[in-house]
Amino acid sequence: MYHLFVEPFAVGFMQRALTVSLIIGAVGGVIGVYVVLRKRAFFADTLTHTVFPGVAIAFVAGGSLWLGALLAGIASAVLFTLSTTNRRVDDDAAMAILLTTFFAIGVMVVSRITTYTNDLVVLLFGRVLTVDRGEIITAAVLGTAALLIVAVLHKELVFQAFDPEGLRAAGYPPVLLDLAANIAVTLVVVAAIQAVGTVLVIALLVTPAAVARLLTRSVGPMIAAGATVGVACGYLGLVISYSASIDHELRFAAGATIVVLLTVVFVVVTLATGGARRLRARRVVTVQ
Amino acid sequence: MGRGDSELDGWSLSSELRLVITSLRDIVESDLLRRALIEAMIVGALGGIIGVHLVVRRLSFTAMALTHATFPGVVLAAILGINLLAGSAAFGVLVVVAIWLAGRRPEVDNSTATGVVLAGGFALGVLLLSAQAGFSRDLTAYLVGSVLTVTTRDVIVAAVSAVVIVIVLAVLHQALVFSAFDRVGAESAGLRVVWIDLAMLALLELTLVVSLPTVGTILSVALLVAPASTARLWVDRIGASMVLAAVIGALCGLVGLVVSNMADTAAGATIAVVAGATFAVSLVIAPMVQRQRSASVRLA
Repeated sequence: MYHLFVEPFAVGFMQRALTVSLIIGAVGGVIGVYVVLRKRAFFADTLTHTVFPGVAIAFVAGGSLWLGALLAGIASAVLFTLSTTNRRVDDDAAMAILLTTFFAIGVMVVSRITTYTNDLVVLLFGRVLTVDRGEIITAAVLGTAALLIVAVLHKELVFQAFDPEGLRAAGYPPVLLDLAANIAVTLVVVAAIQAVGTVLVIALLVTPAAVARLLTRSVGPMIAAGATVGVACGYLGLVISYSASIDHELRFAAGATIVVLLTVVFVVVTLATGGARRLRARRVVTVQ
Repeated sequence: MGRGDSELDGWSLSSELRLVITSLRDIVESDLLRRALIEAMIVGALGGIIGVHLVVRRLSFTAMALTHATFPGVVLAAILGINLLAGSAAFGVLVVVAIWLAGRRPEVDNSTATGVVLAGGFALGVLLLSAQAGFSRDLTAYLVGSVLTVTTRDVIVAAVSAVVIVIVLAVLHQALVFSAFDRVGAESAGLRVVWIDLAMLALLELTLVVSLPTVGTILSVALLVAPASTARLWVDRIGASMVLAAVIGALCGLVGLVVSNMADTAAGATIAVVAGATFAVSLVIAPMVQRQRSASVRLA
């Protein structure tokens, strides 16, 4: 047991990978609940791609990659929020156009320089095993900022998710709330993307929350469950990836292992809760 | 050219123009570029046409998921040494089924189900890839596309598929539009709505597979959504917006290729940026034009 679950983290790079996975797993699980309740999974996916040109331009200009990603992310969050006010443009289409155009700008920028395929691969797949201390601190700071936003606006965001018309009637500014929620998601994406890549970010923002939604109906427990699932899968994913590589000579990418594990948990919970619900329904029928 | 710039203000514009003309001549004269141009315009037009249905049915995220979650199919095809596009097409069926299964519970809305499948599918591909040592060259082209390396066979496949897709869309037109706008009405009128949905997804998958060599996975979504959304800003009727979207899509292919040739940027990405820019400009201009038009109607 010790060999399997503790020993991998005796090495420095595994400790750092674990720290960043736990931070992002917890923050992603919490913010993900708002993403799922607001049905904004596509927006999370959009952001993971729209921060790319910021990173690319910062890379070429020699500036801070974090700042580049943050600026591009906030720009796309603002543009998306604005475009939803135009009734002739469907939200879905607006996100797809933002995603592809921003991403394409990034590809154009990097295609003018060096070996751009390399940078693309890192962006997509991440490199959780090589994060350094500075990146962990930045991830923690940005994650905390995202948590602060949803903590302050929790009541309003939940209200808006369940009853947008009611919120408008009660006099809250829906566009500003949208923007705040979108920026919270942006912060998580920027916090995570350098370390874990686009795919892991979208998985951490959607899958733990989807699992939590299956397990409970009330928002508070859902947030706790989302964070727990995110943290547990981050830890176990690293354990599996490490043990597969060291003990069984199967080189499983760490980030991808975490995502596949999350997906497996989602499938199992879907089946289990579905079965439980059917049992309960049958019992109600027999009692009657 | 450098001296001309400083001497005359108007000269810089006409030198730009000359550059465009040179670039166009390059394209027409070079076999490689001519093939690329034909392919880009076919894919652009096809994307525009089917994109109108896609946008009306809000399938953009599904298209995105189809391009990402089919990645394991591509990796498996590469490992087994079969055609990459065949692998991705086969996996596309699985993806559609997975999204449908994941979204059957009322607690899981369609967007969440799509997100879970997208991430899980793509990660499975990465996992398979990472377990195999040392191949990534083919797959980069798969992600961002390489229009300059399309073969005559690719062009023929694209053209034939485009014709087939347009014919199917024309045959199903009424059913597609009816079921998109009024699902319940279509059902009670005796249409098999689920079969229409599946037909639409099959056409979408075919379009994606055809456009992959040109613009890659992510940017093929650009050609599906941007020209169609641009057209919808200008006209209301579905048929008219399909024609307009086809023209816009083909023009985006043309302009994007010329610009990429001039500026030496990745072709697929440049086409996608042109498509996005066309949409952004229309988003600003179309309401102004419409306001003016309705004002002049009122005056008359």
